[in-house]
Amino acid sequence: MGRHVGIVGVGQTHHSRRRTDVSQAGLVREAVDRALADAKLSMEDIDTVVVATGPVLFAAVNQPEKWVVDAIGAQGKSVVRLTSGGGAGFAGALAGYYQVAGGFSERTLVVAYDKLSEGQLQYSISTLYDPFWGREFAVGIMGFSAAYWRARMDVLGHTEEAAAMVAAKNRKNAIANPYAHVKKEVTVDDVLNSKPLCWPIKLLDVPPISDGAAAIVLSSEKMAHHSTSRPAWIRGMAYCCEADNAPERSLMLSEPLALASRQVYRAAGITNPRRQFDVVEVQEPYSCFELNYYESLGLCPPGQAADLIASGATQLDGDIPVNPSGGCMGANPIGAVGVIRLIEAATQVMGKNESHQIKDAKTALVQSGGGWANLRGCAVLSA
Amino acid sequence: MGLSKVGVVATAQTEFRPSWNNAQHIDLISSVVTSVFKGSGLTIDDVDFIIDSGSDVLDGRSISNCGFLGALGAHHKEEARVEEDGLWAALYGVNKIRSGSASVGLIVAYSKPSESNVDLYWNAQVEPFYQRPVGFGQRAANGIQAQRYLADSGVSTRNLADLVAGRWAAAAASGKVVIDDLPDADAVLSAREGAAPLTDLMFARPVDGAVAILVAREDIARRTSRNPAFITGMGTSMDTHSVAAREAGTLSSAAKAAAMAYRNAGWTSPDADLAEVSGSSVVGELLAIEALGLAQAGKGLTAARDGKVAINRSGGALPADPIMATGLVRLAEASRQLSQPELFGGGTPSRAIVHGAGGVGMQNNCVFTLEV
Repeated sequence: MGRHVGIVGVGQTHHSRRRTDVSQAGLVREAVDRALADAKLSMEDIDTVVVATGPVLFAAVNQPEKWVVDAIGAQGKSVVRLTSGGGAGFAGALAGYYQVAGGFSERTLVVAYDKLSEGQLQYSISTLYDPFWGREFAVGIMGFSAAYWRARMDVLGHTEEAAAMVAAKNRKNAIANPYAHVKKEVTVDDVLNSKPLCWPIKLLDVPPISDGAAAIVLSSEKMAHHSTSRPAWIRGMAYCCEADNAPERSLMLSEPLALASRQVYRAAGITNPRRQFDVVEVQEPYSCFELNYYESLGLCPPGQAADLIASGATQLDGDIPVNPSGGCMGANPIGAVGVIRLIEAATQVMGKNESHQIKDAKTALVQSGGGWANLRGCAVLSA
Repeated sequence: MGLSKVGVVATAQTEFRPSWNNAQHIDLISSVVTSVFKGSGLTIDDVDFIIDSGSDVLDGRSISNCGFLGALGAHHKEEARVEEDGLWAALYGVNKIRSGSASVGLIVAYSKPSESNVDLYWNAQVEPFYQRPVGFGQRAANGIQAQRYLADSGVSTRNLADLVAGRWAAAAASGKVVIDDLPDADAVLSAREGAAPLTDLMFARPVDGAVAILVAREDIARRTSRNPAFITGMGTSMDTHSVAAREAGTLSSAAKAAAMAYRNAGWTSPDADLAEVSGSSVVGELLAIEALGLAQAGKGLTAARDGKVAINRSGGALPADPIMATGLVRLAEASRQLSQPELFGGGTPSRAIVHGAGGVGMQNNCVFTLEV
């Protein structure tokens, strides 16, 4: 492998449903200022910048990094934008990781954001589908996700209740997260009785729509000590895909996530994920997806995610807490979420998580993804 | 720590046409993804990752890469979408191989502007509150750049037209660009106004097409390619968004990108044998030539046609600008000129400069150095 890369500074906005007081550029500035301050650096110390956002149609500014560059004072630097739907932030961080690991930079700032209040979200997502064959029945991403969940119910016998447990857990965890904007405890029954949107998906299975930005400073080993004595080292990171039209595509296990985790675990020396990870942060655009990730990441055997959530093991006080930050249920500025999950996991292993610090957390797992659930990645961080 | 060298193993591109109206995006993409392996001995199974460039806005489709994964050959591989000219996708791929985590990468860029409104694509990039309502965009920015350039340099619109006609003739001779009526200098001058003082034909012509480049670690490149070109330096720089606030009469971000690339490569001067340069207009190309250090300010015209560095033998971006792929096409053209000089008039060229640009008025610039 190339050079070691660590996360040495983090910053995110206080996410909200609608930020009318700032533009996209202002939103990005807030997160960048916080990340730079956390890393004890200024923009002069940064070699390269990666900007990541969801699809351009989300907020209707084409190639917005070219606008945002002025707000963060990065003119003259290497600036490039990555986009990958819901996993954009994670994909951006991966590009930044390789800039440092490949020797192109010593310090790279990755900032990811979406200002979803400025666009028509589900309409934008509907344009994902093939213009000739897919758009006639496209209804955003919810219809697809419902089919995904329904397939698991039919084949595995999983219930709506299993996913409702995920929603209740994450919503409760989000209450202590200073950056979340949905902070209301709900019971499993509340979730089950909430309004059906696209059965089996119900209102409380769905995260909010948010405005928000998140930034991390990635550093080479040589420069990391200027920022912190305890960086969150990236021990492995990958983001894989499956072609949408692959006829053998499974709706049970996420093949790209299983592939990515195999690569990442090999790089990080993970042989027993359930025992070796102290904490896990996942991007759950609907509650049912978290169950799929448990299995695809090897936190439990295939088909047993419903048992894992029911056992309480993924609760805050369980042996493998998942989303102590509250995950997407607390805030969901889509393009930023991959970086938010990295931040929440990095601060856990750095010992400075602001929501729920897991005691003595040393090794953390991060999952992110997007597209039609066909772009999936994960990373292992450790102190 | 020694970072591994990265070589260009093979390249493929479609013909560039004003409109590929009988082919979809996936047809253009799969065509180059299939043909790039020919003669290399490698197959898609040898590829560790795919980085692609394209525009959701031009494609009229959110996360458009998601719909093209099969055509890209990306199924079950790592894939990333860089929403900038394809030269930045190549930069990502080189970093990934240099890090040691991958050995072979496929870089793909494509464009189908014939299905889109190109002026709106540019208009949607400008500042949304103050500039978009007044209709500012690529044409206006290039017109202003050109007025300034002509005033400073003493170059005439006739000089510009001569260069444009030469570039179109070179593209026609290459056989890779579909040109129905080859314009001479008079035709360039008498074309419809684009943005004064530029006529329509003085702007880069949007075309449909795709390009793929196979990059690999040094030992693999040497074993699979006869005379591979190696990427020895890379630099990028983004200028301020506000065109009015940029340094006038020069592309300072291109100069910064070039300085970074030359420093990486250990070059003390840009004395390459050849260069492939992008430009959103003929003046944009001249500004880029000057920023790359291939001519002094205002003197790009001579270098463009008769300098000691052979610039844009392919014709460059003016006759064929597959937006989002143009810089990667330059990389493909330059690496072929280095690897197979017998196809380009002989000689033993050893060094090349490659330039790509993005944004209104070429706000973002990327420079590679290639060596055999």
